[in-house]
Amino acid sequence: MPFQPQVSPFSTSATLLARKKERPKKDKRITELRYHLMHPQTPRPLRFGRSRYLRHWTIHRAWQLYRRQQREARERELQRLYHSMRDACEELRHMDELGNRAPLSDATPGVIEDEGGEAETREQVRARPTGKEVGRLYRKAMKKQDVWKGFPIEYARPLTDYPSRDGWNIGWKRP
Amino acid sequence: MSIASSAQCLRCIGRTSLSSSRSSTWRAFSKASRQEASLNTTSSSSPPIEPTLTRQTSTPVTSTPLQTDPSESTRRQAVRKELKDPIPFEQLPYECFQEARKILQADREEKLGQIEIQRGRIARLVEQDASVSGGNVAKRKRLESMRQRLEELKILADINDPLVKKRFEDGLGDMDKPIYRHLAYKKWIAYKRKVAMQRITQMSVIPDVLPSIEPILDVDMNFDRVRVQPGNFIMSTTSERTPTFNVQSFAAGERLYTVAVIDPDIPNIDTDNFDHKCLFLATNVPISPTSPKVDVASLPDASVAHSWLPPVAQMGAPYHRISAFILRQPHGTTIDVEALKGQYPRDNLWLRDMVKKHSLRPMGVTMFRSMWDEGTDGVMERAGIEGVDMEFQRPPPEKLPYKKKPGWKFR
Repeated sequence: MPFQPQVSPFSTSATLLARKKERPKKDKRITELRYHLMHPQTPRPLRFGRSRYLRHWTIHRAWQLYRRQQREARERELQRLYHSMRDACEELRHMDELGNRAPLSDATPGVIEDEGGEAETREQVRARPTGKEVGRLYRKAMKKQDVWKGFPIEYARPLTDYPSRDGWNIGWKRP
Repeated sequence: MSIASSAQCLRCIGRTSLSSSRSSTWRAFSKASRQEASLNTTSSSSPPIEPTLTRQTSTPVTSTPLQTDPSESTRRQAVRKELKDPIPFEQLPYECFQEARKILQADREEKLGQIEIQRGRIARLVEQDASVSGGNVAKRKRLESMRQRLEELKILADINDPLVKKRFEDGLGDMDKPIYRHLAYKKWIAYKRKVAMQRITQMSVIPDVLPSIEPILDVDMNFDRVRVQPGNFIMSTTSERTPTFNVQSFAAGERLYTVAVIDPDIPNIDTDNFDHKCLFLATNVPISPTSPKVDVASLPDASVAHSWLPPVAQMGAPYHRISAFILRQPHGTTIDVEALKGQYPRDNLWLRDMVKKHSLRPMGVTMFRSMWDEGTDGVMERAGIEGVDMEFQRPPPEKLPYKKKPGWKFR
């Protein structure tokens, strides 16, 4: 197909605007937006010179970096707490009432190494405490009974930043 | 307000002196006294000699210290001092800015330490026996990921530097450095690559010439001063000249590339179809981030298989899509140009076949369109292309077979 250049203008708005009758009605939202944007009390958009823009950018980047560092430190601390809690629970799981360590349930004799680095003999493993007392504390802890004793149970759900709409109900009793 | 009461406000000094002087000097100013007034620089300013004074004080021909000129405003003097002896950007005396710089510098130091550690780790792993690191494949994979991390760290160390940003925005970035390559890549991928991809897919260059492409090279094509926007119509007289490619690579190091310009829209009347034609083919073209220019006219003959043939579209034929592909050759391999020329003549060059045979990897693409215009005939004559006097026309539609109307309907 041969190339045909566009002869008539793409837009017809110029001729339409010349006639007042046929002028299209402006959307009211546009009028409102324009009114507020052009209002003398509206502050002008933020415009910086080159040097000032670069300084602004530098400060912005440093602030982002600082917040990132803070966030990561907080996450690391939480991770550390979680892991030490998990380790404590694991210790409890293997402990009998005298505080001795019991063999792992899936352990095979002669494989487990104690802290000295030497493999335990079959006899030593057999001599390790077993029975229902092993891990009793762990099982009790996992039941989480009376964890909220002394605290209102409402604290078990995440607290909000805002006070209740109804204020503090001082006469509340546990149902 | 003690300043205002005891002495005049600094802002008002110039203004009052100017307004008071105007009434006296301005009016008494005559052609005869002009020379005298320009010499007497201790007097208050007069507009006619202002340009002369500015020229005298601003030309750095005399290497004397800053000339203090009372006729010059305090502000202008300050600006001149600032221009002459500016404070370096890093030393600008803004507290928050300086604190921010401290944080960024500490982070950079940390990143530099990490880079050193990573380098040591890589060196140790390279020396380690493959059987210890879990086999050759595992070792190679691990090395690759460690090197990738090292590149990341290099970028992270510099990305928060305002001067790096400034230099990049001014176009002064050194493409040998990873940070500038990274910034350039981000800029390209944000807009230019999208436009190029849109054009080549909309105009079906992609399934027609090559099955697919994921460009990672920024390719610009120029005919002297005319820059090719992907998909633009280019005048035949413009595309008659040899093009120049600007192939910006964002990966370190020099590699060899094959450059192919293909026109997949040569009409073939016999088959009632379109043929491919190669307008340009060159191999073993070295391209690196710092030397992106590929001047088709000045490429050595040893690397050009098919020299530039101007694209032409005959009258009445649909537009031609002229697509340029930059194909990366495998590591350390060169292609024999003579063999290539014999294997792939201009006509019906099937690029897919060439890519497959030589294990090339399509890395960059751009395209433009060409159609018949007033200059085409001249271009064809000069280039010795046949068919100047030919015009393509659509065949008249075939007549439908006559069908007798069912008479019972129209009774």
